Amino acid sequence: MKMSSALAKKLQTYRISFAELQEILKLMKRPAPIQNAHQEWDDVQLNPVEWAVFSALWSEHCSYKSSKIHLRKFAQTLDASVVNAEGENAGVIDLGQGERIVFKMESHNHPSFIEPYQGAATGVGGILRDIFTMGARPIASADYLCFGDEFSGRMGLLVDGVVRGIGGYGNSVGVPTITGQTNFHPRFEKNILVNAMSVGLLRKNEKVALSAAKGVGNQVVYVGAKTGKDGVHGAAMASESFDANSDAKKPNVQIGDPYFEKLLIESCLEVLQQDLVVAIQDMGAAGLTSSSFEMASKGQVGMRLNLDLVPVRDSTMQADEILLSESQERMLMVVEPHKVPKVQSLFQRWGLDAVVVGEIQSARRVQIYFHGEKMADLDPDWLVENCPRYSRPFEPWKSTRVFENPDDLLDAELMKVLQQPMGLKDWLLQKSSQAQHAAKTPLYQQYDQRVGLLTARGADHDVGVLRLPDSARGLALTVGCRPWLMEIDARLGALDAVLYPSFQMSLKGFVPKGLTDCLNFGNPEKIEIMNEFVASVDAIVETSLLLQAPVVSGNVSFYNETLGQNIISTPAIGVVGLREDIRELPEDVFLAPGLDVWRLSHSAVFTSSQSAPKMGFCGDFGASQVMSWVQWMKQLRLLSQLSGVRANQMVSQGGLLLSLVKMVQGGVGCKLTAPLSVSDLLQEVLYQSVWVVEKSVPFGDRAKALGLQPELLGQTQLDWFEVREKCKISVQDWQKLNQNSLRRSIESLA
Amino acid sequence: MTPASARLGVVRFPGSNCDRDVLSLAQVAGYQADFLWHLDHFNIQDYQALVLPGGFSYGDYLRAGALSARSPVMNSVRDFAKRGGPVLGICNGFQVLTEAGLLPGALVKNSSLRFRDGWVDLVPENKSSFWASQHSQWKVGGQLKLPIAHGEGRFYSPPDLLRQIEDSGQVWFRYADNPNGSLANIAGVLNETGNVAGLMPHPERALWDWMGSEDGRGFLR
Amino acid sequence: MPREVILDTQGRAIEQTLRLNNLAAQSCRVGRFVELTLDGSSDVSKQQADKIAKFVLHNPLLETYELIALGEVMK
Repeated sequence: MKMSSALAKKLQTYRISFAELQEILKLMKRPAPIQNAHQEWDDVQLNPVEWAVFSALWSEHCSYKSSKIHLRKFAQTLDASVVNAEGENAGVIDLGQGERIVFKMESHNHPSFIEPYQGAATGVGGILRDIFTMGARPIASADYLCFGDEFSGRMGLLVDGVVRGIGGYGNSVGVPTITGQTNFHPRFEKNILVNAMSVGLLRKNEKVALSAAKGVGNQVVYVGAKTGKDGVHGAAMASESFDANSDAKKPNVQIGDPYFEKLLIESCLEVLQQDLVVAIQDMGAAGLTSSSFEMASKGQVGMRLNLDLVPVRDSTMQADEILLSESQERMLMVVEPHKVPKVQSLFQRWGLDAVVVGEIQSARRVQIYFHGEKMADLDPDWLVENCPRYSRPFEPWKSTRVFENPDDLLDAELMKVLQQPMGLKDWLLQKSSQAQHAAKTPLYQQYDQRVGLLTARGADHDVGVLRLPDSARGLALTVGCRPWLMEIDARLGALDAVLYPSFQMSLKGFVPKGLTDCLNFGNPEKIEIMNEFVASVDAIVETSLLLQAPVVSGNVSFYNETLGQNIISTPAIGVVGLREDIRELPEDVFLAPGLDVWRLSHSAVFTSSQSAPKMGFCGDFGASQVMSWVQWMKQLRLLSQLSGVRANQMVSQGGLLLSLVKMVQGGVGCKLTAPLSVSDLLQEVLYQSVWVVEKSVPFGDRAKALGLQPELLGQTQLDWFEVREKCKISVQDWQKLNQNSLRRSIESLA
Repeated sequence: MTPASARLGVVRFPGSNCDRDVLSLAQVAGYQADFLWHLDHFNIQDYQALVLPGGFSYGDYLRAGALSARSPVMNSVRDFAKRGGPVLGICNGFQVLTEAGLLPGALVKNSSLRFRDGWVDLVPENKSSFWASQHSQWKVGGQLKLPIAHGEGRFYSPPDLLRQIEDSGQVWFRYADNPNGSLANIAGVLNETGNVAGLMPHPERALWDWMGSEDGRGFLR
Repeated sequence: MPREVILDTQGRAIEQTLRLNNLAAQSCRVGRFVELTLDGSSDVSKQQADKIAKFVLHNPLLETYELIALGEVMK
């Protein structure tokens, strides 16, 4: 297709396809593109503002055009516990007793790779705004991170920068970061994942705030930071080359200011509690453009916007730059005219500008004015409702890495090494010091765990726990998705992404109440990626329905690829759960000697996380198996509330032995006396759990009464981790190794 | 026993984020609490005690507590302190009080250069005339368990000032295990008359067992 | 110093305090001052300083830098 260079450049700059352009011109009733005498397509009748607006709102990031038809499937998981979910920023779940929670997860992968501190910080800021824009005070955050294999060179700086950014923003804004997951795997070397999750609380009588603009004559009010060129690339927007001398070509990195955000949180919550605002939305991706058009579209009204009134940092900014700016910490509100002065004085008290920038009108058009000229006159539905929906080609899921026999999954070479005298010990110590398995303490110690006075359990535990202030019930928070499983099989990995964190919280007596997702995938134009995407969405829907935990919000991040190399498809999941109280929660590790160590299994699938050709699985995870696991989960939850259950843990990557040694983090060891074979100790099985119980408790009988098959493995003891005659490790030595591994790497960066 | 009309003033700067938490400390001790906004002066007769809470006032920009210390409300706080009124600075509040000259020394970046969250054991040394003065667990050489969460908690003072602080009994608490490189393991200090106190750990985060410790309770009586 | 287009959050907060205390400045931007003592002639050390600045002292995405010669140090 030959194009005039003017048109070609615009299509590239604004990332709009020719087909999309044709659609736009049709919607706007403008002349269709014409071919000139040279058979080239001539430039079309669209001004820069119109180009900019469509570029922003029809982008993958804003419109979800490649994924929407699949994301619609999540709607079937919604049930009576979900409040006001339709089209809002984050999902709301009613927990009863007047308490409602709002939660969502979002990605900031690409910006974090470029500038890790600010990328992670602005990711946290963005997700917090999605929460308090609903009128809910943010009460906790979580992070889900994937980095390359080890702490070498640039990767170390990325890990350090991201963690400092999450802490720097979250701590400053006063929201505790109480849980998270950090994975290290080579497939993330060129594309790291930084997903941020936040939870907010609406207490009794606090109203959910809505974002649909309403009321002809109501004022459109802009509040927060001044608009600058953050995120806008200047003249050559699509340029990718960095030239040390040309300042204009460097990306204008978005800077997050948690101090400003804190002012915004307090002032917005006040203004909402005092019922001064009709509608509110944060200016996230595509800033003023997305918030104004989305608010107008949802409310089925029109809007007049005067860009001259928008507070700017740089007076040379053009209309399209103002519209596309991604300056942080800004909100857009709709306010009745007589309430505007009160709104303004409230924000002024907090040191923020609240400026009228427009008005709601009855004609269903968004009209944008700049320097006295009407730059655009667009029906908001063209940008939102009429956005293209692509059905990218995909095929029904077919598992390929199937093994017939679980023993085939074991590495014969490794088995030989492990049979030797120091084999097991060496293997355990080596594994325990790898970044993937090392204690993450030096990372989460940089996060404030306790601001807000709701934290009962922080990031030093597997499951974050808050105590709800009014009802004193427990709220649990975990994130999930194990990339090593996703690499083996996308359906299995996606099922596990929901099941595993749900197991983790069920072991502490919590019932999963809701899910959010952050779907990180490579290039959706590649059919094998799309297959994994669809399989993942379907698996999440399946588990969500079985658990009766609706998927209330989510985010999609596509194109996590570099030079044709994709990441492992990673559908990260956030789970929130509820418990009647927070008394006697089982711990995660060995804390006292003389306790019995039991195993409870529901072994349906064996896996191998080693590299190919041994990477694969053996077993069935069809619909009835998944149902069976969910049933088992309920029984484990019942059992967890038995008095005398001091700790429990799910068996994880590397199998039983590695999971057991990690429990030595509590400072106490154990002695395994059961006749377990080496393969039994190493096999990765879905699913197994370990229980640490007081001797006086008839745990075996209780478990059997629930239809379970308990196996007594051994006892906890001081000072040593022993596996019969096969292996003996000193608790002190192991702790030092496991604790210092990441700590040394981090300290070497300071 | 505090009289039913006991009022605690909680000074609020833009960016303070432990202000609402301090209300719980007040509640547990039976005080009514009011927020005192940084732009306003207040009537010092109205309050029995003042707390400057933790957080990131002014984003910790320039120097932690530096900008807050120059807020209008500090004039009233200064008056209150001059007349012997009890003033407590927690974490960022401690930083503000040192910047305002109401407490000696300064707080700088942790020696690890990183924010540090965790639990510390504090060893009490000298008593304040008001704060934790009736704490049931107070024992010289004993220990109190409180949480910390800060990036700029390293206590510093030049040698002669340090000597003065030590000699005039102004060391309030020391860390049993120094988490941030503070000089002489100092975790909290008092002014010369003992009514103004500051510490980096957070007593308001240790009010109930389920929080991990109840040692914060005795700080306000 | 922060690049012109980059938001300077510290400068903005200080401006606010100055306004409150009637000491208003038109603008305030906050950067870093790094003092390097180097061997060699002024040309050689300027080159070395430039190398150091590019190597680690500044983040080109966020900052610009300027070299100011402070003169000689007596041994």
